[in-house]
Amino acid sequence: MSVTAQAAAPRRLARSRFTFDRLEVLGPLFIIPAILYVVVLVGLPFLLALYYSVSAYSIFNPSYTFVGLKNFREVMDSEIFRRTLANTLIFTISAQIIGLLLGKIGAMLLMQEFPGRRLARALIVLPWAVPVSLATLAWLWMFDSLYSVINWTLVAAGLIDAANRPQWLGQEDLAMIAVATVHAWRLFPFGVVIFLAGFTSVPQDVLDAATIDGAGFWRRNYQIVLPMIAPIIMIAVIFGTVFTFTDLSVVYLLTKGGPINSTQVLGSLAFQVGILSGDVAHGAAICLFLFPFLLVAVILLLRSLRRREI
Amino acid sequence: MRSEREISRSSVTRRGFLKRVGATAGTVALAPAVSLPFVSTALAQAKTLKILQWSHFVPQYDKWFDGFAAEWGKKNGITVTVDHIPHLELPARAAAEVSAGAGHDIFAFSGSGGPHLYEKHVVDLSSLVSEVEKKHGKVHQVGRQIGYNDDTKVWSALPAYYISFPGLYRKDLWDEVGMKPDSWEDIRVGGAKLKAKGTPIGISLGHSVDPNLSYRSMLWSYGASECDQTGKRVTLNSKETLEVVKLVRAIYKDAMEPEVLSWDDASNNRLLASGRGSWIHNPISAYRTIQKANPELADKIHVWKTPAGPVRRLACGSPNSYGVWRFARSKDTAIEFLRYWTDNWVAIFEASTGYNHPLFENLVPKPMPILSNDPTSHPADKLQVLETADEWHATYGYPGPAGPASDEVADNFVIVDMMAKAATDKATPEEAVAWAQKETELIYRKWSAA
Repeated sequence: MSVTAQAAAPRRLARSRFTFDRLEVLGPLFIIPAILYVVVLVGLPFLLALYYSVSAYSIFNPSYTFVGLKNFREVMDSEIFRRTLANTLIFTISAQIIGLLLGKIGAMLLMQEFPGRRLARALIVLPWAVPVSLATLAWLWMFDSLYSVINWTLVAAGLIDAANRPQWLGQEDLAMIAVATVHAWRLFPFGVVIFLAGFTSVPQDVLDAATIDGAGFWRRNYQIVLPMIAPIIMIAVIFGTVFTFTDLSVVYLLTKGGPINSTQVLGSLAFQVGILSGDVAHGAAICLFLFPFLLVAVILLLRSLRRREI
Repeated sequence: MRSEREISRSSVTRRGFLKRVGATAGTVALAPAVSLPFVSTALAQAKTLKILQWSHFVPQYDKWFDGFAAEWGKKNGITVTVDHIPHLELPARAAAEVSAGAGHDIFAFSGSGGPHLYEKHVVDLSSLVSEVEKKHGKVHQVGRQIGYNDDTKVWSALPAYYISFPGLYRKDLWDEVGMKPDSWEDIRVGGAKLKAKGTPIGISLGHSVDPNLSYRSMLWSYGASECDQTGKRVTLNSKETLEVVKLVRAIYKDAMEPEVLSWDDASNNRLLASGRGSWIHNPISAYRTIQKANPELADKIHVWKTPAGPVRRLACGSPNSYGVWRFARSKDTAIEFLRYWTDNWVAIFEASTGYNHPLFENLVPKPMPILSNDPTSHPADKLQVLETADEWHATYGYPGPAGPASDEVADNFVIVDMMAKAATDKATPEEAVAWAQKETELIYRKWSAA
């Protein structure tokens, strides 16, 4: 009996060694944590949000009674929501455009040789690395109605009159520009990194050949470099769009959606209704309006990416 | 040179790595289970009380409260933990604690809707409130509005205190124009004169708490309100509301600067502290801050009641209350602590430098300490008018109770935006009122069905 047990132990060990040596076992084993992460922290909350949005659930009355699309209809009845939806699109698109433009310009500058380039490359990622709350509070002071350093500079330079200084967070159009700019400022280091990676991947001989053929800066830029790095830019756009569309921190910290809801975005409104006011069902319904927009945007971008790769 | 055998023995193999990771993960996973019996025994033996409340605008009060709670705990063999977080984070924290079914024992709600919103998650404190009423006199209407549900007859929180909302004004500047800011009409007329002299008045029109309180005060003073006494029917669309919206429009254009559209809760304090402001509607915290930073300017700032309207003088105070979670581990201890806290109100009042106003009639007898004689103020009776604050304060939902609906109207800044739309000519006063009525109705209808 004991002889059999002694013989079985090395056999089990050998079998387990064999099992761990097989790629078809080891591969899934390594990927399981990532899948679990997505399922538990993204998939389940998403399903829960779907369920909440068609229920009557609130903190006051935690009931899972099914109400169909009633919450969505009620949300759409509100002018605040309709304005919020439009704001979210404006905020996302403008922050993307500004962020990518700044990213491209930054990357082009950082491609040049100059003393301290390494330090500049390290410093450029600061907006990305600084906690959003701290960075936004710094911007809040820069946009302050009384002590704005931006206004002070403009007044000192004689560009504006102190009595008619712009109210960055008080005028509807300026407030949207302000929140989009702050978000673009947060995004632009990512743009710089992506563009830098793209630029370095363009073979120098292609550029040299184009230069010899008489292509100037703009032609090289728009007809050679940008088409070649388009797939990388697409990835940046997808990431940036999702990141901006779902963001509420910049708006919440700077304006809380004001003035007159001119900077309210879906994320901040959903937080206001679902968490602060305890109406989880309507908050979830507001949040889910993000999903179809993001889905369509991501599908279009990925399709375009695949076409380019082919 | 090492042999190949030595190299393979010393290097980390995939199998070895997996084994070590597995063993470590197993140990980490098993550790809580192994230690659980010992930990739970220790917890059962130690009595604890956990309290969460906002970081008070008067830091001295937090310091006093922490010491007060610790001392009570020491006397009774209870370990008391007091956590303070910014008031704007309290709603999200309450939601998180309820979702997790764990957290603190006592939760201090700051604002109006909390106790009603969380009624099904907190202990009924009716017997405690009744006991406190017997001992310390009738509960103030603000306390009843925030803590009592007339439908279920439940006190879901112990009314703690409210923060008064008087007017803080530059006496020297108002004397120059021969006026005192006693009514909203005075604010319009005097404010226009003072703005012309470069010292405007300031009420925020941005998304922040202060304007929610100021514009409600204004509506009530003119006989308008967001809802009726039942708290279920929206009554915003009225000629009284329209009158107030027109008044705000005039005040914005004649007596304020456009900067008020971007203001947060500290901006009006900064206006007064800059020496450029002539009147703000704010708790005395703004004055207290200026006292420390600029005593000379503080001497010029005086405190007066909230402005009166043609119907009444009424301000929207900022209420605070204590709830005890149903999932709390130390419910009885929590109630015992709240009873003790209520019995020490004079000390509470002094520690808050007259900032916390009591919500039971006789908690702080008159003449009230600090308010009747504040040695740091010149003259010393500058704050005496606040002794009458009980007569001119109500809170969200007035004339009905505060609740989830009135809270959501405030959270969504509907009243503030109604005023801002008309003030900035984005809508006519009539359109602004109609818009606010519709948005408010949507919210009230939703909550009445909940």
